[in-house]
Amino acid sequence: MNDDILLRVEGVEKSYPGVRALKGITTFIRKGEVRALIGENGAGKSTLIKCIMGVETLSKGKIEINVDGRWCAPRNAIDAKRLGMYANYQHVNIAKDLSIAENYYLGRWVKNRCGVIDWNLMNRQSQQVIDKFQLHVDAKAKIRDLPVALQAMVTISKISVNEKIRLVVFDEPTALLENDKVEILFRFIRELKQQGIAVIYISHRLEEIIDICDTVTVLKDGAYVETRPVCDVDKEYLISKMVGRPMEDIYRISHYPAGAGLMRAEGISVPNQFENMSFALHAGEILGFFGLVGAGRSEVMRAIFGVTRITKGQVCIKGKPVKIRSPKDAMKRGIGFLTEDRRLDGLALEQTMRINVNMNSYDMISKWGIISLARENQRAEEHRKRIRIVTPSTQQLVSRLSGGNQQKVVIAKLLCRQPDILIFDEPTVGVDVGAKEEIFQIIQNLTRQGKGVILISSYLPEVMGLSDRLVVMAEGRVVDTIGKERLERMTEEDVLRIASMTGQSKLSTGVAS
Amino acid sequence: MTSQPASGNQARFNARHLLKQTEISLLMVITVLFLIASLGTANFISAYNLTNILKQSAVIGVIAIAQTYVIITGGIDISCGAVAGMSTLMVALSQAVWGLPVWLSLVVALAAGLICGLFNAFVIHEFNVPPMIATLGTQTILRGLIKVFSNGGTVSGINKGFAAFATGSVGFVPNLAVVWLLVAVFGALLLKYSTFGRSILVLGSGREVARLSGISIRRTNYLVYGFAGLLFSIAGILLASRMNCATPTAGMGYEMNAIAASVLGGASLSGGAGSIVGTLLGTLLIILIDNIGIQFGVDPFTMEVVTGLVIVTAVVVDQLKKRAK
Repeated sequence: MNDDILLRVEGVEKSYPGVRALKGITTFIRKGEVRALIGENGAGKSTLIKCIMGVETLSKGKIEINVDGRWCAPRNAIDAKRLGMYANYQHVNIAKDLSIAENYYLGRWVKNRCGVIDWNLMNRQSQQVIDKFQLHVDAKAKIRDLPVALQAMVTISKISVNEKIRLVVFDEPTALLENDKVEILFRFIRELKQQGIAVIYISHRLEEIIDICDTVTVLKDGAYVETRPVCDVDKEYLISKMVGRPMEDIYRISHYPAGAGLMRAEGISVPNQFENMSFALHAGEILGFFGLVGAGRSEVMRAIFGVTRITKGQVCIKGKPVKIRSPKDAMKRGIGFLTEDRRLDGLALEQTMRINVNMNSYDMISKWGIISLARENQRAEEHRKRIRIVTPSTQQLVSRLSGGNQQKVVIAKLLCRQPDILIFDEPTVGVDVGAKEEIFQIIQNLTRQGKGVILISSYLPEVMGLSDRLVVMAEGRVVDTIGKERLERMTEEDVLRIASMTGQSKLSTGVAS
Repeated sequence: MTSQPASGNQARFNARHLLKQTEISLLMVITVLFLIASLGTANFISAYNLTNILKQSAVIGVIAIAQTYVIITGGIDISCGAVAGMSTLMVALSQAVWGLPVWLSLVVALAAGLICGLFNAFVIHEFNVPPMIATLGTQTILRGLIKVFSNGGTVSGINKGFAAFATGSVGFVPNLAVVWLLVAVFGALLLKYSTFGRSILVLGSGREVARLSGISIRRTNYLVYGFAGLLFSIAGILLASRMNCATPTAGMGYEMNAIAASVLGGASLSGGAGSIVGTLLGTLLIILIDNIGIQFGVDPFTMEVVTGLVIVTAVVVDQLKKRAK
């Protein structure tokens, strides 16, 4: 076996109920190699990283790391650390109430001769690391008091405090960083490389990848596409590899002429999330929203639905300006919202399908606070048949349904209130192809009935294939609204290029993804 | 095509089934204990002892039902024993010191319970204090107030008719147990048929889910802690009638038994699940263990250890069930 190789990923597969997230990935990474991992949202990058770091167990295949000539497979996250594997995740992931030094040495405190933790020594050594990374802060500063960009730098610099490092994973490390900090990060990566440490680098910013990486692996829909030296490729080539594919038939649904205006947003803003957003939704229309991670699409919808408060601008529904104070308000005004993460805020997982379907409309089937159980069951049965929710009974716990059926339960829940405006935020995440097609059919039926649908998706073929018009967002603003005709002439690369336009006036770093 | 092949089998393991399983196993344990005690001791099966068990269960039982409601939302109410104790005192003071008629003394007691419950909700919701801490604080406040109001002594002089209620019975069933059963039936129906019942189930399954489904978390919190406060004071009223006086320690330590009864009955401490029938059986089991210990002449100190062990076991089993999912 070649001694040069540090990490072997062989035939790795990972399945969740109803989805195959990884479909047989094989690749080898050498010592001192900086490997980029690219692909669209949902291509399987994060899942692969979690598998490598031992956070997720594999369904098939193996992942091994070369530990001084021995091949070891990390069994869990702690094991991975012991083998010298470190990951820097997208979201700042450190103890916010501790100081920088405390975070650097978390769990491996240095003790002095008397067996007491030697804070002086640790603070001194931490300060050296901080100075090396040019962060200009005190080692004793609390993480919570630092700006987000500095917090991100602390998590990056924390890696260098470890003694035995073999592999470092960076997941979108520059998302929160300014240019000078990116330079420092790159210097650190080159230093790791010289020490023979392998780096896996995930980023949406292709220029960066061409700048810092040696090789690049492209993933698509959970499958391995190819690995190439960076010197052989350019940005255009990578984009075409990531997205280039014929529009599939499942996106071919009937479209209907746009009717009267249903909802209009006029210059709405939420500080640190998005600014001056304007768009209109008409009856019978599918209005798509696209943007890269952190563009603020979901934030806009959460604000319209009354989850966060709009500070500037106004929303009009059917021509009348409205003030929506809570989700309940929004529902009463005829808005239904399918959220991005159904497990977090869409479903009561440990309750029955029947309760979940009726969850937001009990007021419609009750009198004096007493529910008609017959109506409750009847509604659940009705939707089970109409949108084909596959479940042995309406008393089944939702946590036991597959992803696609769970999503249909959420849709049924919205439909119970018969809303005019439906917001679907990533409706096909973690949903298999069959259910995807059915969800698109539901969307088609809704527009035929003259309802307006807002469709957010990070998956370009989907949002381009289904939308009548497409709003493209970047950094909390609308950068373009593309009408049907223009959209049909555009390629996915064109849209991606518009979405990755980085404006001069950056919002503050608090943009949540 | 989207269903999993095993879903047919899984149907049998749905929530209802799990709860039923809990209830059936509780019934079995109770039966076994009952048989052991009837065969092993002379006095267990006497009418006196059996009514005594029911009377003891009634007070804890009413508290446990309220506790189950709170636990379903993912909260907990440590102040329950103290609220009951406060209501006991209010009954005694109203009747003996302030000279109020019986019906008015009950209103005073219920009002006190409601206020305590709403205060808990206020601290928990408005200041985002963990329920455990908020209600622990309320408990201490109330225990102090009880001593202030009673000068640390026993308040006697309770209306004779009112005290006779506790000694009366309907057929074989003591009045206190009748009240307990009525509360249980009401509690079970409310949980099953009301929008309030559904709201607390959804809230207990996830705060964000509830909020985005248009359920007002504030309203639900005030309702559930207020409702619990009312039920605690009903337990306090029963206690006043039974003891024929109010002592400063009335209701002390009831919280642990009540929580244990809820959890034994299938309530999940992380919220989203709970059963009134289960709570009923859980209460019986706890009281039964205590009673049987006494019958067999186990000394009370050891019995405390046993009860503690049962409680810890119940909570551990609750966690294990979750892990199995």
